[in-house]
Amino acid sequence: MSGRGVALVGAATTVFGVRPTTWPEMAQEVGAALFRAMPALRAEDVDSLFVGAAEPERFAFQSHVAPLAAEQMGLRPHRVIQRTELACASGQSAIRSAYASIASGLSDVAVAVGVEKMNLPSMPEANTAMGCVMDRPWDGPHGATAPPFFAMVAQRHMLEYGTTPEQLAAVSAKNHRFANTNPHAQFYSKQFSVEKLLGLPVVAPPLRLGDCSSMTDGAAAVVLVGEELVRRYTDSPVWVRGTGQYSDFHNLAHAGSLTQWTGLTHAAREALGRAHISIHDVDFAEIHDCFTISEIVEYEALGLCAPGEGGAFAADGRGDLGGDLVVNPRGGLLGCGHPLGATGIAQAAEVYRQFAKEVPTARQVPDPEWALVHNLSGSANVHSVMVYQGGRAS
Amino acid sequence: MSAEVRARRTAPSGPPPAGSDEARTAPAPDRPKEKRPFLLDFFPLEGADQTRLSRFYDRLREGRLSTTRCRKDDAWHWPPRTACPTCHTEDLDWADLPETGTIYAFSAVLGGAPLGLEAEVPFAVGLVDLDGSPLRLFGRIEGRAWTGLHVGDRVRVEPYALGDGRWFYRFRAVD
Repeated sequence: MSGRGVALVGAATTVFGVRPTTWPEMAQEVGAALFRAMPALRAEDVDSLFVGAAEPERFAFQSHVAPLAAEQMGLRPHRVIQRTELACASGQSAIRSAYASIASGLSDVAVAVGVEKMNLPSMPEANTAMGCVMDRPWDGPHGATAPPFFAMVAQRHMLEYGTTPEQLAAVSAKNHRFANTNPHAQFYSKQFSVEKLLGLPVVAPPLRLGDCSSMTDGAAAVVLVGEELVRRYTDSPVWVRGTGQYSDFHNLAHAGSLTQWTGLTHAAREALGRAHISIHDVDFAEIHDCFTISEIVEYEALGLCAPGEGGAFAADGRGDLGGDLVVNPRGGLLGCGHPLGATGIAQAAEVYRQFAKEVPTARQVPDPEWALVHNLSGSANVHSVMVYQGGRAS
Repeated sequence: MSAEVRARRTAPSGPPPAGSDEARTAPAPDRPKEKRPFLLDFFPLEGADQTRLSRFYDRLREGRLSTTRCRKDDAWHWPPRTACPTCHTEDLDWADLPETGTIYAFSAVLGGAPLGLEAEVPFAVGLVDLDGSPLRLFGRIEGRAWTGLHVGDRVRVEPYALGDGRWFYRFRAVD
């Protein structure tokens, strides 16, 4: 992209899982982790704060979370402070907003932090919060939440292309295996083979428990700075080279075929075009596997394989180490859990750590140059994509 | 009472048509009666003092699932609207939707239901192509366990009472 260069220069994540801790406490925890990870970062350097949080009103009974997060993290932003909300893509929205603010010259040093507390003593209330992501007065009363919607995507994909439960399970097994290398993942210490996954209970037919990401508590933060400030913080900057988004529909009546996610194709084309690369140049990708079927449809919409071939792409290991590219080396949403506002930031943190070679060798992508991050939100009605380049001083 | 409603109320046989006096006075099936705070209740407020689309719910009480149609470009909307998304006119009319359709896709909620719907688990939901219409609507599917449903199965639209004066709609599987 033209204009002032913007780079990721540091990252931190908390443990993801069912956490005995609150929303503000997790903001403190990730702030402490960020300053530990970045000794050169001083609180007074941070002029802007973008807070990705999907539903703190529902999950934590708290609005106005941007200044709350600033206070918890020990920051006093004086240029831009705001929350970004785009359901499951709230975190990536914080990064995109920080990027735009720095590229414009409004901000110089920005923190993008994502925090979500989702596990409540009353899970029906938590599920109600998830239902609010849909078109509440029209789809909500029918009991629409994410699992039945993505289950219908899987049903149509199976019907139209012959995709199998084994192919779905291959996605989950891969991402859980990567999560076994990530101590911050919700399922770090749990092993899931394809056979075991196929024996788990059905949640929303045809999807089983292992096809679905979890309700997760967690936080993540990254620091973005303008190009002239990069050397102050890191020797391994990761440059934002492209972004794209596409909003297709909201009410489920307009979900179209279910199996063609053209919004993702548009968003990726925009982001890759700005970076002047093709999807085949991408070395690894953190893409939104909220459900196994999502990753399969995303392979297709991104152009990694033809429509209908996503299941085989998964089963043949083409998204694994040694394949066409490495997909979700962090462990994905399936293996790490999915704290809505934190997910997109944690994906960017993985991108930073991959380029900095700070991850265990069992998931290290060999000598990467290009990374793509994708989040969908809601019923795959919005797609958000960012393209990063590492290994360069500028 | 319109002629159309009168005709519906004198349907000759079978179960009482939705919107009939019998259906209207029947206890609301499967519906918890307790009053929840508005913001924890998924069903919308339906009165003219709350929504400009109250005619939708009035017509539902008469047994008719309807939506808005643009008087200028004839576009069918879903859900009903107050302004056309294509030409942006606010000159819209109400029109009845077909009462039957075909399942395009379905699943079921076997757990993890929102507040107030936990007691109804398991329940089926699906996308239904309405006969002779460009609209594909999402909704609950009653009348058959999800294990007996198939893509392509026939359903009919079923307005139903919530038991607190409000009405909503769902689909019912038919042979």
